[in-house]
Amino acid sequence: MDAPVKILSADWDTPESWTLAAYQKSGGFQSLPKALKMQPQAIVDEVVKANLRGRGGAGFPTGMKWNFVRKETSFPKYLVVNADEGEPGTFKDREILKRSPHMFVEGLIIGCFALDCHLTYVYCRGEFRDGPVKRLQAAIDDAYKQGFLGKNILGTGFDLEMHVVIGAGAYICGEETALLESLEGRKGYPRLKPPFPANAGGGLFKQPTAVNNVETLANLPKIIEKGGDWFSAVGLVPKNGGTRLFAVSGHVRKPGVYEAPMGITFKALLDDYCGGMREGSTLKAIIPGGSSSAIMTAAEAGWASDFDTLKAKKTMAGSGGVVYLDQSVSMAHALANVMRFYAHESCGQCTPCREGTAWLSRLVDKIVAGRGEKTDVDNVHQIARQMEMKTICALADGAAMPAKSYIEKFRADFDALVRS
Amino acid sequence: MRAAMIPLSTRAGPAPSPFTPAQQQRFDEAFERAVAKYPSDRRRAALLPVLHLVQDELGWLTEPAMAYVGFRLDIPPVRVREVATFYTMYRLKPMGRHVIGVCNSVSCWAMGSEEILKGCEERLGIRKGETTRDGQFSLEEVACLAACGTAPAVLVNNFTYVENVTPQSLGALLDSLKEKPGQAMAPEPRKLDSEGPGGSQATPRTSGRAALSEKV
Repeated sequence: MDAPVKILSADWDTPESWTLAAYQKSGGFQSLPKALKMQPQAIVDEVVKANLRGRGGAGFPTGMKWNFVRKETSFPKYLVVNADEGEPGTFKDREILKRSPHMFVEGLIIGCFALDCHLTYVYCRGEFRDGPVKRLQAAIDDAYKQGFLGKNILGTGFDLEMHVVIGAGAYICGEETALLESLEGRKGYPRLKPPFPANAGGGLFKQPTAVNNVETLANLPKIIEKGGDWFSAVGLVPKNGGTRLFAVSGHVRKPGVYEAPMGITFKALLDDYCGGMREGSTLKAIIPGGSSSAIMTAAEAGWASDFDTLKAKKTMAGSGGVVYLDQSVSMAHALANVMRFYAHESCGQCTPCREGTAWLSRLVDKIVAGRGEKTDVDNVHQIARQMEMKTICALADGAAMPAKSYIEKFRADFDALVRS
Repeated sequence: MRAAMIPLSTRAGPAPSPFTPAQQQRFDEAFERAVAKYPSDRRRAALLPVLHLVQDELGWLTEPAMAYVGFRLDIPPVRVREVATFYTMYRLKPMGRHVIGVCNSVSCWAMGSEEILKGCEERLGIRKGETTRDGQFSLEEVACLAACGTAPAVLVNNFTYVENVTPQSLGALLDSLKEKPGQAMAPEPRKLDSEGPGGSQATPRTSGRAALSEKV
């Protein structure tokens, strides 16, 4: 294996990599002055060329989203960062905030300049307050001291204020419009779209707003340094630029966050990065992108991990949270666990989700308790199908996808528990 | 599980402070910092951070405290409660001085979190969702903490992560917490009958609380 390109995690093994001194020693904050001399639209064009896709889950082209915001004529405009990491299996943004917060801050400043935004919020999940948020706040304080934030940044006349706000424990606030509601001081009910956040009327305080993930923005300094074409070429498949931080957990020898090119196969990720399955373990199933994504079998480990390949395979790259499960796991029991999560986290706004997630959880619980019948398994599948595409946000779909796929691909695990 | 509730007003209006003078001073300073993050016509957006500040002081969100937050931010108290009941980190009743949150989402589950949860129940003599009779510990199951690579993970008092927990290390963790003061809890109001809109009942106070114990 060639030494893989590392954009985000190259310095993570450096002692105190989270300090300004360490970041500057490895070339940090050299892209910012370069970016501030560019035309804002030229930065967005570079991001379009980079084929940078949103790392939060949907994989939406970042450049396209930014162009939507730039086209709006209503000011002020906002850039809001989604650091409400909570998709089961995902723990990469926490690592970025802990290990290279300055890289993220530099990327965020560049993003704000590109969008003509002068006030930005980083919405972190509340549980991060004493760990990652402290590192992030220290990085922001450093940036103010260095003149990278505040009034007249580096003498260019560009002003930017950056604030961290913490949530209070709600998975749904990772959905971008629920996050905006929460940031405005309300319960996290996703908003009906359109208007989309990028458009006037749909964003923060009804103003045009780009909502981006932490990892997405952390790529910006490198894109400015090396150019969009270089970044795009790092990805192994077209339209999926750069690397990705894969947060790997489950029954592998070395769980952790690994940076690999977009499109690496799940087999290569497991064998080349994670040391394979742990002693005595045989791979049984793969959760490819957080627990909302459809499950994969061991035989499908050769699939590429990029957004488009997995969408074509009826699952998703999602948030990059990859869970490898071994033969000891009953997939019916695993589904019961996953369904309990969604039933708990449904915000309750839309009936198909509020009722559907609860039904799914109760039915799968009944099955794993040994009280189920074959028709219960069929009903889980049926209910899941009826929940899809019927709600304001994608939480219901995120519950339906595992429910359907666990049954379709591991039916025997369910049938073994029910009376026929 | 929900605490008994008194009616709260749908209109914003004056409400007495639930704080001691020392708490009030800390709260006021932090309040100004929290509100300053937003445009001046958007102060209400600071509701979540301000509720965190109240909980830092009182340990949980008492009804008079919610009414007071509404007064300070010009939000109807019932709206404050709407938010307080939506988010899981906000406490609507007094908790133990140490709240143990065991993550039981899929990665932790695959790595044995059920065993950790069971271990907590056995060692503390309570079920999840309960508080020990001496008020030392509360136990709960929490949703994914974003610590899946170091599963199973445990969250202590909302903000402190303990990772790679084993049944053995769990015992040591609980023992070490017993030695520490933990989060002081404002007492529960003696009776929860209605005293009219705005929550004008006697305000519970804590005493002798040094500082928020963030580190355990």
